[in-house]
Amino acid sequence: MAEKTIGRDIAPPDLVAKVTGRAKYAEDFRAEGMVFAKLLASPMPHARVRSIDTSEALAMDGVFGVLTADEVPQPGAPNEPALTNEPLYEGEAILAVAAIDETTAADAIEKIRMDLEPLPFVLDPLDSLRPDGPNARLDGNTRIGREVQTIKWSEEDFAAAADGHMPVGQPGDEWSYGDVDAAFDAADLVLDETIVHQSLTHHPLESRSCMAYWQNGKLFIHGSTQSTARTRAAIARGLGLELHDVVLIAEYCGGGFGSKISGSTIMQVPALLSRKIGRPVMLRITRAEETYLGRARPGFQAKAKIGYRADGRVVAMELFIVQDNGPYGRSGDFRTAADMASLTYQVPAMRFGGVSVYTNTPPKSAQRAPGGGQITSMLEPIMDKAARELGIDRVALRHINVPDNDGVFGPRRRGLTSAYVREALDRGVELFGWEERAARSGQRHGSMVTGIGIGVSSFVGGSSGFDGLLMIREDGKLYVHQGIGNLGTHSIADTARAAADVLGMPWDRVEIVWGDTSRHLPWSAVQAGSQTTHAHTRANHAAAMDAKRKLQEIAAGDLGGSPGDYETGDGRVYRRNDRDTGMTFARAARRATQLGGKYSGEELPEDINAMTVTSAQALAGEGLMGVAKDTYPHEGSTFSFVVGFAEVEVDFETGHVVVKDYTAVTDCGTVLHPRSLAAQLYGGGVQGMGMARSQRWVFDPQWGVSFAKRLYTARPPGILDVPLEMKWAAVGIPDPQTPVGAKGIGEPPLGAGAAAITSAIADALGGRCLCRTPLTADMILAAVEGREQPYGPLETHV
Amino acid sequence: MAVIRDMMPAFELFRPVSVDDALQLMARHGEAAWALAGGLDTFDWLKDRIKRPEAVIDLGAISEMRGITADRGGLTIGAMTTLTEVATSPEVVESFSLLSMAAFHVATPQIRNQGTIGGNVAQDTRCWYYRGGWPCYRAGGNICYAAAPKAMNREHCILGAKRCVAVNPSDTAPALIALDAQMVIRSAGGERVVAAEDFFMSPAVDITRMTVLEPDELLTEIRIPETWSRARFYFEKVRDRQSWDFSLVTVASAMRMSGGRVQDARIVVNGVAPRPVRVTEAESVLIGSPANESIGLAAGEAAIRRAKPLRHNDFKRPLMRNLIRRAIRGQEA
Amino acid sequence: MEIFRRVANPWNQEVLIGISWDVMWAAAWAGLAFVVFHAVFVWGAGKKPEHAGADHGSAAGVPERVERHVVAARVFHWTMALAMFTLLITAFFPVLGIQFAWVTIHWMAGVLLILSVAYHIVHATLKQDFWSMWIEGRDVADVIRLLKGFLTRTDGRSRTGKYPADHKLYHHLIVVVAGFAIVTGLLMMVRVDTPFWTRNPYLLADSTWGVVYVLHGFSGVALITLVMAHVYFAIRPEKLWMTRSMIYGWVGREQFLEHHDPERWVVTGAAGVEPPSLSAGGVAESVPQDPDSAP
Repeated sequence: MAEKTIGRDIAPPDLVAKVTGRAKYAEDFRAEGMVFAKLLASPMPHARVRSIDTSEALAMDGVFGVLTADEVPQPGAPNEPALTNEPLYEGEAILAVAAIDETTAADAIEKIRMDLEPLPFVLDPLDSLRPDGPNARLDGNTRIGREVQTIKWSEEDFAAAADGHMPVGQPGDEWSYGDVDAAFDAADLVLDETIVHQSLTHHPLESRSCMAYWQNGKLFIHGSTQSTARTRAAIARGLGLELHDVVLIAEYCGGGFGSKISGSTIMQVPALLSRKIGRPVMLRITRAEETYLGRARPGFQAKAKIGYRADGRVVAMELFIVQDNGPYGRSGDFRTAADMASLTYQVPAMRFGGVSVYTNTPPKSAQRAPGGGQITSMLEPIMDKAARELGIDRVALRHINVPDNDGVFGPRRRGLTSAYVREALDRGVELFGWEERAARSGQRHGSMVTGIGIGVSSFVGGSSGFDGLLMIREDGKLYVHQGIGNLGTHSIADTARAAADVLGMPWDRVEIVWGDTSRHLPWSAVQAGSQTTHAHTRANHAAAMDAKRKLQEIAAGDLGGSPGDYETGDGRVYRRNDRDTGMTFARAARRATQLGGKYSGEELPEDINAMTVTSAQALAGEGLMGVAKDTYPHEGSTFSFVVGFAEVEVDFETGHVVVKDYTAVTDCGTVLHPRSLAAQLYGGGVQGMGMARSQRWVFDPQWGVSFAKRLYTARPPGILDVPLEMKWAAVGIPDPQTPVGAKGIGEPPLGAGAAAITSAIADALGGRCLCRTPLTADMILAAVEGREQPYGPLETHV
Repeated sequence: MAVIRDMMPAFELFRPVSVDDALQLMARHGEAAWALAGGLDTFDWLKDRIKRPEAVIDLGAISEMRGITADRGGLTIGAMTTLTEVATSPEVVESFSLLSMAAFHVATPQIRNQGTIGGNVAQDTRCWYYRGGWPCYRAGGNICYAAAPKAMNREHCILGAKRCVAVNPSDTAPALIALDAQMVIRSAGGERVVAAEDFFMSPAVDITRMTVLEPDELLTEIRIPETWSRARFYFEKVRDRQSWDFSLVTVASAMRMSGGRVQDARIVVNGVAPRPVRVTEAESVLIGSPANESIGLAAGEAAIRRAKPLRHNDFKRPLMRNLIRRAIRGQEA
Repeated sequence: MEIFRRVANPWNQEVLIGISWDVMWAAAWAGLAFVVFHAVFVWGAGKKPEHAGADHGSAAGVPERVERHVVAARVFHWTMALAMFTLLITAFFPVLGIQFAWVTIHWMAGVLLILSVAYHIVHATLKQDFWSMWIEGRDVADVIRLLKGFLTRTDGRSRTGKYPADHKLYHHLIVVVAGFAIVTGLLMMVRVDTPFWTRNPYLLADSTWGVVYVLHGFSGVALITLVMAHVYFAIRPEKLWMTRSMIYGWVGREQFLEHHDPERWVVTGAAGVEPPSLSAGGVAESVPQDPDSAP
């Protein structure tokens, strides 16, 4: 029996290609006759195109054509088109030019005459809520249900808030549970804080470049995407094509962080331009373009009112969040934030209200722990403040509030599959050395003051109900077909381990089939929301169980006995009590082909998705097929948890913060791949530290034009901004609701990293919570020096 | 006509192998010429199509502009010497560690390998309004967007604002001023030598230039006299990120002590004004006094007395004060 | 030749930001051309005959020295001249490539100009004969005669009141041109940090600022031409008596009678208490009373 793959460090199969540069990303592809496209971007944050004259550009040598907004699908408001005649943010694409090379295409753009009518714009959501404030969209400033509507607050609403405090007016969304007012009345301590969390760009290292061409009416598209099966579906839907007329090739992805969940709208541009001019078209998105088109995390301006019992138990919470929605769609971050607050602190009575306000800033989307990241980093220092005021240990305050397996959350008080946060806290206290370090809190040596921080972060950790599809071919190898994407998290390989282990297959005989929809992939989850580990260990487990049953049946049929007498392992199916009686997978695969029917995929389960059916039909007769929909029980919601601990030193003479140490402990169920898990805990933690400390998103208020559009001005953290050594651990208790026991872990590390830093900085400042991100040196120095803060308490985009 | 950024246009590239050839090319192309050193400043401008030189003259092949030579107790550094070479050169490290520290604080190892000391001192400002191609004073227009009432000017200046409020971003410039370096400038017409302190242009005089270099001139070498060899040095750069970031405030200082008192001193700050500023107010407090915390604080206070913050950069006042204070008292608090 | 300077604003809209410096050169050349043309023309015309009528009947009451400019007026004139030259130098020398820190000096000189002009307005209105600078019917005739004389190379000059018609015209032209420069300059002060306010470039819209800068530019370059002409006339030999009067304050009896019509410029003798006094003698330096205040 082969050693179990789950829980071991195994390099993913694409590793060598990536580190040697052999891996081809979207912009590395070339096709016969390929030309390059460039985009003309709006210089204004909100405008209407009065006229465009492309004649001079089209007359240039080497220019092949122009694609305008009139030639791309215009989805109904408030959804985003690929090109627009009413740009809603500076940098939005208005048209594209195709030319023999990028130099010519760019020169051609400069020859285009465009007359734009400037329209009112708004950057700060609160400005749009003012009685006479501008709306970012002509049809309103928020979406309620499916409709774009307008919400304006009264002058009294604004005046009612104390100076610098978050005003509260009519919400667009609200819910509550429990008797909130009574709970506040009974509370021993009530904190009422105003928090401002910045919006910030995703900055994946690979921009959303895309190349497309058509053959016989079929679109071949090379893109950068987090998901494969679902991106193909999104492209087909967006362009009005049949699914089978889209071939998506996306084997590698240089990061997405939620910005490329099912590809990007801009992928339509090379596709349609290619169809128009009859040549393959490559659209390489530049770094500056990426910061416009590449999505961003929605910012919050919020009020957090929290009631505590004397022992630190949270008894009531009121959250009111104004969310910077960007100009399109509707971001769910603010609702998720409320759910996460409700969950993390097991709030018994809670009221939530919020408005997601349209702004003329680049479009928002999920960004690693959407909503969770923001609220965790904002609430944790407030929890510290409560602990300080109540005179209790900060870990103890978390201990008393965090969920366990009986935890419930949100307005519908839904249950959880599992939660071992206390175990994670205990493990972290030990690993980090909490007692010893907490004693150093506030100590000053020279100009450096020590701060110790803690962040408890919860986030969704899994969905279910997707399909697994695998083949045992006549070469005796196991081919696991993956419709998820190769985002860089290793889940493309790691979720296949479920299948390998079910079959007892040595890992070197497992092949992953991925990244190209012509390779017959099953219907899969989007590679987002930390779903993949959970959803696809289950789906692959189900498909492997199906294959195993078929192997057992074939063996029993050929070798006698009942299927139950047989076991699989090391590439053989054999009699449990007589290992020599059996057959190799290679032989079983040949038998399956001969037998046909369900064994080779000629007959398929009823409940699998149409896309899986098509793929399975294409593979039928090529060996033994395992195919199944994940129908394992899944009661309650799946969440993963990370507790982050940080020690920082704040230089009281410069405002500079040094992160000395960081420890992350997670409850993400069974550990699939320790090294990869560490990469998530550290990578997400560092991303969170950057969000909390340095990363910026800045606009000029007069012109609505963005500045933080280069990596050096946007300032995601660098290697010298994080501790040299970090520690991690996992509780490792399997989730009882999933056969492998593994939960997703992509997202919660971010909130833990961010909150550990905001908490540690507040600790170094003697408990003063600045309650905003990013917490830059200027703000810290102003706080230390007792000077006025450089930005207003509710000012955004700083 | 529409605007497109982040896509370098075509230009004619020259790669002279001698300073004379480079100067001839500069003279020939006049305003249309652009001297390219490491390219870290240049390529942003070119990619954003804001500066549109017709002839780019790459100085990278001119070997006579590279290298560090010891010279009567001082050093002569070719302008095309990379920042890595400056940061790691034994001569610099031994005698003028202030400069090696400054060079070491530039950006990232990759950028220091590519960037040159000449390029670092002659680089343009990073004011994001100006770099965004906005038609500000510095770009030949008649407005400073960064000083407007609601402008985002956290990184801008607190001293020496003259219409323009951009700051000089160079890390090595304050160190060179503190070391009394001499900048050797050549044109087809000959050579002139200016003190590092006078190398930088005030916007009051010419708002479109960062240095006194005329369009046909090249900074060919930097001479560091023996004056401050092995003096007591201090360098600190405060920035938002510890790599690949420009300074919020930088201080570079050199001191000679005698009998426990400061005999002579240079204190230079950058990131606070359109040009690196030698803080004579602080120096005069310091000279003749012991270099301790209280003198440091007094000198720091004196240094910021004239500082006038913009809307978002008041923090640079205490930051500049504290860095001068640290420069004087040394690392220990 | 470019007339205007335009740039693309941050929204890529073309906006006016001022006049082209070509216009400055045009103004300078125009001034020079005028001077040269006039000088050559006058030189070609040869020596002019003496004025007739120096023996005008009313000359009897004219003192040896007739006060033409009181101290206050002279101080104003030279202060204004200082401000004007400073303004022109600080405005245009940097354009010529002579670089120095000009902005503060420029706006301070502007403030000085405004203060001196304000003083002048008050002084001229309250203390001086405001109407002496007014253009009258006779002035029109004078100008026609002057031009005719100039073109026919005869002496078209007539004896005038205190201010000859061409001086009045020049004065009013300066009023208009400098007025534009001052008003636009004052607006532009909003864009300069002073101890009293923080600059605000967004007080006016882009396009409005463009107009302000263009008007300031045009009035500025027009001042180049006007000042060139003024200086030229001030140093012409036959006009030096007037220039001197702007220094010393008085004109001699001879010059007075040669150039002025005592009926149009009624000169009081002393202390200005009575109508034309017969007492001859210096009035200029010793008499504090402004002779212009005579009816």
